[in-house]
Amino acid sequence: MFRKKKRTAANQKKNEEKNRITHEAVTLDLLKQVTAKMDDAEIVQRQTNNGVSFSLVYIQTLIDKERLNEAIIQPLLQSKEQTFIQGISTCSVLRIHAIEEAKEHMLFGSVLIHDHEKNEWWAVKLENSLSRAIENSETETIMYGPKDSFTERIEQNVFMIRRRLPVTELKAEKFQAGSNTKTQVQMLYIEGIANPDIVEIARENISKVNFDLILEASNLSAFMDDHTHSLFPQFMQTDRPDSCAYSLGLGKIIILLNNTPFALIAPITFFHLFQSPEDYVHRWVIASFLRSLRYFSFFIAITLIPLYVALTTHHYQMIPLQILYVLMESRTKLPFTPFWESVIMLVIIEIIKEASLRMPTKTSQTIGVIGGIVIGQAAVEAGFASKVLIVLVGISAIACFLVPNYLVTKATTVLQFLILILASFLGILGIAFGLILLLAHLNGLSSLKQPFFAPVAPLYWRDWKDLFVRAPLPWAKLRPEYLKTVKKWRVSKGEGSE
Amino acid sequence: MKIFLSILCILLVFSGCSSPFVENNTVEEIAPVTFWSLNKGEGGKLEITTVVPPVTNEKKKLFTLNVDLLKQGKKEFNLRFYRELKLGQLRMLIINEKLAKKEVITLIDTILSDPDVSPRLFLVLVRGSFEDFLEGERKVQKNLDYYLYRMFRHYERRNQGEMSIVNLHEFMEKVYSHYSDPVLPIFKADKDNFTYEGTAFFNENKYVGSINKREDQMFQLIANDHYLKNLPIPHLNVSLGQVRSKVIMQVDDQFKTLNIQVKVKGRIDEYRGHRNILSRSEMNRMTHDIESYFQRETVGLVKETQRLKIEPLEVGAHTLSPLVHPMTRREWLDHYEKMKVHVKYSVKIEPLSL
Amino acid sequence: MSSRFRLFDRTAVMGSGYIFAMVNRMQMLYYVLILPKHLIHPYMMAGILGVGFLSQINLLILAKYLTSNYFVLGYRGFVQLFSEKVVRLFAILGIFFILIKVIVTTLGYVEIVHQFMFPSMKTSWLIFVLMASGFYIASQGMEKTIRLSIIGFLATIWVILVYIPYFLPPIAETHHLYPLVPGEVSLHSWYGLLMVWSALSGPEYLVCLGPWIGPKEKILKGMSIGNALSVFEYLVLFVACLLYYGSPYLEKISFPVVNMIRYLQSPVFERVDLILISLNMIYFLYLIALFLLCLYGAIRIAAGRINIKTNRKGFLGSVIAVFICMLIINGWFWREGEELNVWVTLQLWLGAITYLLVPSVLVIAMRWKRGRS
Repeated sequence: MFRKKKRTAANQKKNEEKNRITHEAVTLDLLKQVTAKMDDAEIVQRQTNNGVSFSLVYIQTLIDKERLNEAIIQPLLQSKEQTFIQGISTCSVLRIHAIEEAKEHMLFGSVLIHDHEKNEWWAVKLENSLSRAIENSETETIMYGPKDSFTERIEQNVFMIRRRLPVTELKAEKFQAGSNTKTQVQMLYIEGIANPDIVEIARENISKVNFDLILEASNLSAFMDDHTHSLFPQFMQTDRPDSCAYSLGLGKIIILLNNTPFALIAPITFFHLFQSPEDYVHRWVIASFLRSLRYFSFFIAITLIPLYVALTTHHYQMIPLQILYVLMESRTKLPFTPFWESVIMLVIIEIIKEASLRMPTKTSQTIGVIGGIVIGQAAVEAGFASKVLIVLVGISAIACFLVPNYLVTKATTVLQFLILILASFLGILGIAFGLILLLAHLNGLSSLKQPFFAPVAPLYWRDWKDLFVRAPLPWAKLRPEYLKTVKKWRVSKGEGSE
Repeated sequence: MKIFLSILCILLVFSGCSSPFVENNTVEEIAPVTFWSLNKGEGGKLEITTVVPPVTNEKKKLFTLNVDLLKQGKKEFNLRFYRELKLGQLRMLIINEKLAKKEVITLIDTILSDPDVSPRLFLVLVRGSFEDFLEGERKVQKNLDYYLYRMFRHYERRNQGEMSIVNLHEFMEKVYSHYSDPVLPIFKADKDNFTYEGTAFFNENKYVGSINKREDQMFQLIANDHYLKNLPIPHLNVSLGQVRSKVIMQVDDQFKTLNIQVKVKGRIDEYRGHRNILSRSEMNRMTHDIESYFQRETVGLVKETQRLKIEPLEVGAHTLSPLVHPMTRREWLDHYEKMKVHVKYSVKIEPLSL
Repeated sequence: MSSRFRLFDRTAVMGSGYIFAMVNRMQMLYYVLILPKHLIHPYMMAGILGVGFLSQINLLILAKYLTSNYFVLGYRGFVQLFSEKVVRLFAILGIFFILIKVIVTTLGYVEIVHQFMFPSMKTSWLIFVLMASGFYIASQGMEKTIRLSIIGFLATIWVILVYIPYFLPPIAETHHLYPLVPGEVSLHSWYGLLMVWSALSGPEYLVCLGPWIGPKEKILKGMSIGNALSVFEYLVLFVACLLYYGSPYLEKISFPVVNMIRYLQSPVFERVDLILISLNMIYFLYLIALFLLCLYGAIRIAAGRINIKTNRKGFLGSVIAVFICMLIINGWFWREGEELNVWVTLQLWLGAITYLLVPSVLVIAMRWKRGRS
């Protein structure tokens, strides 16, 4: 059944390809056909000073109207020469022949000019540069350090990276993805640092993408992932040009998409998901402490509630007597078993989290207050949940936000549920099962075919300097080993070599 | 992957309320008893007592049963009480002296073989009726068992030399060790009081005798803790504080004499005699008196152990060396019994200042 | 997800770190947990050191093969060295050895869990969960399973630190360590030494992992460090047991290494043993996965299907076969409570024999081959 479906998809693609290959010449009639019922498309006919008539075809929403007047219409009207096209004062003027070309240019914001006399078609890029200004990053806020973040325009994003890395080795290869969106994709890497094998894999993966809508970075990464079913993202998303530049410098690859303010970084490892740009702002001891705190809180977030369930259902003998008093006291009159109690409370917390996320900021605060305090308090008083659990749920809910990567934050919730089930089943042993399988799973993952659990397994001792702790920058004289970079040293060899 | 998912599904189905194949240990449904008091019952039976419900602030009841087997007691409890009795939190085993004279080791073996019970369980001997004490105290003190446990734990932690606190593992290790015999703390219980009485001595696993509070101080000093927080010597009208000792025991090659040298450091806490202890010579005389008092007492203690032919002081361990094959316990005890004992104390008292 | 199911792929060569971790964890499997009980006397410390040294010599012999060209070729190497028929015969023998090893270690672990964590549990459930997890890990392929060795090693090596309190005064009794010279040598102590030897077995299975292990120069180094660390760990555990229990008491304790942890209490959790037992599962699982893969390979060789692509059904089939064997043994022939039951004793001898014979047979075969050509 699946095979059949695949075949039809392949057929469809073949047909489209066939259409594309027919190089039908551009004519005004054809263009009229194409733009039929596109009310924002305009076809204008004029004459120059010396009587040569020309037509302009464009989609008015896509182009800059003022500049159309300044740069095309006025020069053309006043032109006295035969080859009036030379009068156009923009940088990109292209001669086009086929209707497909014409369509594409038109849809990407070009004005098509037809010289009636010579029957020549030209495309002039006059894209509407409407875009929002460069703003602070809202997803990865930091106190110190650069504040700019990507916008939806890919040129602007590339500009922000190039400004930080003014070297000619920084290559930007262009691709197109999405049969309908025709999204412009740029793959950036530094030649001579990034491993050519990894670049090749990325190149191959991007060109293999076959889908109609590629609207944002996640869409693209979904097609490039090595492991579709994993909970963990295999590409890091960031909207900070500085972290992009940093990653490029280490030998990673950045993939930028038009119309999304998020870049994909690859290959990454599990441990990258715990690193924040701020790590490199703080003093190294503090940064190391904060980083280990993140790992710890990830661990807490996925095991705290399961541990509560394991202890209260299976291993009462593990609880110190003092704590057992508190637990017995708070649990005696509850109607649910610890497992169901936790499931209910966790689901409620997730609902609150999700609700406050979707609401505007002011409302979400209210939701937080009502959800957190009122429901929590009421649940205890009504006898649905124990006080101890409420405290633990609160802690684990906050702990999971310490992971800087939002995608992982959501993954922890699911992990927590899975381990919770195992814990209710097998107690501590179940939690151990969960964690071991998690480790085995992470060990099996890869990002752009590079091992996901990298500096640990496969083991690269040297990279541990920037793993659980963040060693002082002057110590990091070498690029990460697992990236297998072409150039290994980050310092010029004369002074840097040991 | 599919298989992994299906396993998860199975887990999902089976989790739910509780797993079908593991004991139900849900905390609110169990009664994790914290102590058992064992006594000699009627007709050669065992009388076991505890307070239920344990570990809650609910109103407590005293449960007493006459049983043949210890574990039978557990079952009987369950048939009579609305929560299931569990042993995983058992912290104290209080054995009546009369019962201890008959049997200890079988009881302890039973407890030890239970994987739920921690080897940190405290063992206590009781003279008098602990049940009476419980009955009386239950109305006044809500969480009696808990406070008792905290007391034992407090003195165990830092070995401050107030009591000999012994847990299950220490006891068993000494039982099996050839060169040492176990001891247990002994308490006296009546309706109103539960007081430390001294240390009980065992010959391997038989309860053979005990020493009183005064002798116990010497025991703490030279064998158990090597520290006493407070050491009153009433007939010298003096009380020493923070007494630390360093003990060197030497047995000669023919196993004829035992030399014990003890260095003691401490300070005077309280003095109510007539000497002017601020003067040096008076102080020296005083120190000398203390030393001879210690010597007398220590010799008495050692003699007592020789008489009972037991080894709570672990003298035999000092005869061991890496290269000599050790003798058997019996051989050693035969030597030990006839040994001459020389005890020498050197007491250093920190200068008194007012 | 890719539809290919490849178990024996190779994209990278595993360095000395993996060899070290694998050797060490294989040697720390199961037998070390019951070892102290059978060594008993303090002078057996010297025994451990001695056997450790012998094991090192054995590893030197093994390394001769592992650094030869035959090893890198894996299966084809074996065929070159012997003939295809002989290799198939060896594979059949190997199936038996591996099967017993997997079964005994898994059931041993299950018994520990049963004894210390869930006395009322039906053990077949646990076996099922263990095998299913082992299957999941193994189905990621040989390379990733080998890679897991580092994680298993890092996740469990620190457990040795937990034993530090047993060396400190309130628990430790120095006189338990005396005497250090043996009075009379009994048969029992020879048995203890055999047990140490058998416990140190495991690295011989590296011969099955030819294509993945390298580079040549580092193999011996990795193995030696792994072996030395295992001997050190044996010593630490044994001495800790002695200091804690003393010889006469030690004799009476089952699983002394596990049992003694029950004495420790952390401020948050009492009974640290439950956590450590669960944690140790990682290298049991890892080794189950590794041996399942070896077993599947051996079955393929024995059946002469080495050139046919691996498929999920075949692998699952062999795992299920192992599972059923395990259930049968667990149900009918496994005497719990008796630590050295028939199966454990059998594995004791088999482990000792394979560890002794595999390296030397291979090296002799290499010599012979060289002599003929």
